[in-house]
Amino acid sequence: MAKLIKIAIAGEGGQGVQSIGDILAEAGNEEGKEALYIPNFGIEQRGGVSLAFVQISEEQIGSPKFESADIVIALSERAVARTLQYVTKDTLYVYDNSLIAPPEVADEVIGLQAYDTVAPEAQAGKISRQVKSAQEELPKNAKRLIGIPATAIAQKELHPRVFNMIILGATVRAAGIVEMQTIEKALESKLGKKFTDNPKLRVLNFSALQKGVELMDTALREEGKV
Amino acid sequence: MDKLSHEEKRAFMTGNEAVAWAAVAAGAEIMNGYPITPQNEIMHYWTRLAPKFNKKFLQTEDELSAGFTTIGGVLGGKKAFSATAGPGTTLFQEPLSMAEMMRIPMVLVVQQRGGPSTATVIYSQQEVNLVTFGGNGEGWRIVYSTSSHQELYDYTIKAFDAAWKYRFPAIILGDGYQAKMRESLLMYNPEERGILLVQPEVFVGKPGLPGRDRPADHLRNAFSVEEELFEAAMNIQQEYDKMAAEIVEADEQQIDDAKVVIIAHGVVSRAAVAAMNRLRAKGHKVGYFRPITLRPFPEKQLQAVAEKCSNFLLVESALGQLARLFKEALFNVPIKSFQTIYKPGVGITAEEIVEHIESHG
Repeated sequence: MAKLIKIAIAGEGGQGVQSIGDILAEAGNEEGKEALYIPNFGIEQRGGVSLAFVQISEEQIGSPKFESADIVIALSERAVARTLQYVTKDTLYVYDNSLIAPPEVADEVIGLQAYDTVAPEAQAGKISRQVKSAQEELPKNAKRLIGIPATAIAQKELHPRVFNMIILGATVRAAGIVEMQTIEKALESKLGKKFTDNPKLRVLNFSALQKGVELMDTALREEGKV
Repeated sequence: MDKLSHEEKRAFMTGNEAVAWAAVAAGAEIMNGYPITPQNEIMHYWTRLAPKFNKKFLQTEDELSAGFTTIGGVLGGKKAFSATAGPGTTLFQEPLSMAEMMRIPMVLVVQQRGGPSTATVIYSQQEVNLVTFGGNGEGWRIVYSTSSHQELYDYTIKAFDAAWKYRFPAIILGDGYQAKMRESLLMYNPEERGILLVQPEVFVGKPGLPGRDRPADHLRNAFSVEEELFEAAMNIQQEYDKMAAEIVEADEQQIDDAKVVIIAHGVVSRAAVAAMNRLRAKGHKVGYFRPITLRPFPEKQLQAVAEKCSNFLLVESALGQLARLFKEALFNVPIKSFQTIYKPGVGITAEEIVEHIESHG
């Protein structure tokens, strides 16, 4: 059967989850593949977990949503809880480990207390911190868990706003279904005007993409599987 | 410029955007609309395209008004259309009924959301009853249930032509998923493909004195006596049946050796086809049948399928609305088994269908 890759991306509103999904699918389409992107949309405009579903394939794609993902990207604690349902033993699970820390203690009873996270709600400074639950644990059934410190690196080395470009770069490297130059082209067509007005933005976005690729590359290599 | 001038072009966009482009391609001149999720972007894109293509837009105060002003535009000789969803589809029954009775062509795009009432703004297949037999009448409408952006584009063009050719209201039945997702499609100018667009005509206010200079037009939705209505209704039914044979459409695959046939319509049929392919790859003999026109329903095509295989699995994001049409089409036809997956207001994946067939046979 032709290669079909299913990606679920989840995060807080404002993290750029939908842009990641959109650009990924657009690049797939640009390469002549079949691509389908659908946001999870509802009544809530703010405050909910934002989910994007992307499928890229050589053939026509079935239903727009799916039950199990090849790659899950979780960018907040709540996003972890929201994406557990898409994880199977074949799923590559990527999370931002500068926002979501893995439990330090393996014991589940004590382990729950080992989270030390910066909740996005706290960053937003408005909504009260959510009560942590066992739900927020990272999945145990995934094929691989990969933590990428995208937020920390964006803040330290680049700019907080290109955080999602780091994630996009990491996803592209993990999925291996679209070329980086097509992603850059898709980005160019989306932000071309802004790039022309401020060429530094182009450099910033493209460096963030590259950083994401490198982070994923290192993470995959550390696991001994490239 | 009021027509698409570009050549065939592969585009990557949302379904709502595809509908707006298709309406331009079909030669629509005015959209009368009232906002409701998930069809809002049809209006948004139309208003963006309107100044470029010399089109008009009227925002009305509600869906009743959107429907009746659409009819008004059509009577004045314009290709007018509207789009709605959910509770808006309920309100549209009034103008749709009028169009049925007075034989007024109009096009309505319905992007189904959850129901009843406000329910969800997301997705469902729960507006099948409404679009096929809603209103106080006999269901004299054309309903195309689409499953992809290409079909949204193709069938929107087709709906305008069918409506104006046969003078029945035509409905494009999509859903929130098709409305909001992005995928590829080929956009084209239908005239360059040899599709002759039916030109609209003025229905009222034609030159000359009716009865003297030209035959009088009778656009009636009110009758004084029962017999008058009877005669009119039987005539319309006869013309509807005649049209039905010409426009009815269905899609089917792998029926000949099938042991199970999956029945689905709209976006769910994509899951059905994917499930069929996966099960075939594992050696299960599975086929698929999909009505494209829900009104008129492809009864003969379905009956022919039932003669070859009548172990059916009917799958829909509603509680038996497609099933009602299905059962009526197979009235008095013996069938072996009838299983269902009903998920009102929720999407259905290929995985679920595969699992069902593997565990139930």
